[in-house]
Amino acid sequence: MGGPGGPPREPEDDRDLVDRARRGDREAFATLVRRHQDRAFNLAYQMVRNREDALDISQEAFARAYTSLPAFKGEASFTTWMHRIVVNLAIDNLRRRRRSGTTAYDDTRAAPQGGDAEPAAPDNPATILERKQVHALLARGIAQLPPAQRAVLVLREIEGLSYEEISRAVGCTLGTVMSRLFYARRKLQQVLRAHLGDLR
Amino acid sequence: MMHWFHRTVGRGQRLAAYAADELPPADRARAEADLLACPACRREVEAYRLVSGTLRTSERAVLAPDQAAAFWSGVERRIQRGATPTRPARPALRELFWDHPRLSLASAVAAVVLVLGLTLGQMGVWTVRPPGAPNGVEVVSVEAGEDASVMVFQAPGSSLKVIWVFEKPSS
Ligand SMILES: [Zn+2]
Repeated sequence: MGGPGGPPREPEDDRDLVDRARRGDREAFATLVRRHQDRAFNLAYQMVRNREDALDISQEAFARAYTSLPAFKGEASFTTWMHRIVVNLAIDNLRRRRRSGTTAYDDTRAAPQGGDAEPAAPDNPATILERKQVHALLARGIAQLPPAQRAVLVLREIEGLSYEEISRAVGCTLGTVMSRLFYARRKLQQVLRAHLGDLR
Repeated sequence: MMHWFHRTVGRGQRLAAYAADELPPADRARAEADLLACPACRREVEAYRLVSGTLRTSERAVLAPDQAAAFWSGVERRIQRGATPTRPARPALRELFWDHPRLSLASAVAAVVLVLGLTLGQMGVWTVRPPGAPNGVEVVSVEAGEDASVMVFQAPGSSLKVIWVFEKPSS
């Protein structure tokens, strides 16, 4: 959340690397990319739910960030700025898919992991089944959300950003963040209850 | 029973935020009182908790080792090809209605009337200014993007807010 009115928290040397990259140091920018690529990829994936598109979006986001470095004033952190570019590209991707009628959540079957899956917590089979069912239901519910609502939901619930950080990353007011988040959560809550009945 | 009455935006929003542990203490106490009084609201909060809890523990997507290693070269290729500079995503009109669900056809018509009044007022033809008011219509907020701007107007003495979207034609 950071101090009230203070600059967003960020590792000191991100700013340094941005300055060097702005002066044309390509290697400094490469370091920034390596540092942020996992986070950017995951954010893109959580938005579009497709590894191939997520890779495309996250790489494109860094390329655009590089091209736009002269316009980057440094009032936001590099992380916030990247969130913003990734989210905008993901929203464009979703809208394009919507227009062309392609399904938005097309790999609910695939694990998001590229390498080995993490060992699951030792749960009884019933709980695991239930959790899988809940995940699948939520994935379907999220696919029905308007892209802008999906962005706010992902930034809050999956990325764990504060309302203020989301409003900076999405470029809308706090009130808009709150209402988008509410409608998204309510929709998902209704989807769960419609399918699972009242939960015990 | 009275649960239909609880399903108003204000109360629903409080319950959703309560379930996500986002409420300041004073509002939390209010939400807890709401919950004590209504079993249906309690079930709703449970479902909200399941939503947040599931999303917060969802797996992160990780680049495969070969993708991670080749990531930068992919970015560099795009830079050399000439990436488009960033631009804000254009807010779709339909989604603005989502954000402002109370915005209806009626208020859209009111917007036309109000903005027409403002324009005519500026032209000295006609004014919507009530007697004594400094201005006919007040601009409450302006959000400008590269290809669309959103302005919120309000007439003094009226609770009606009008949201006006200017979309620049895409090239
Ligand atoms: Zn109730």
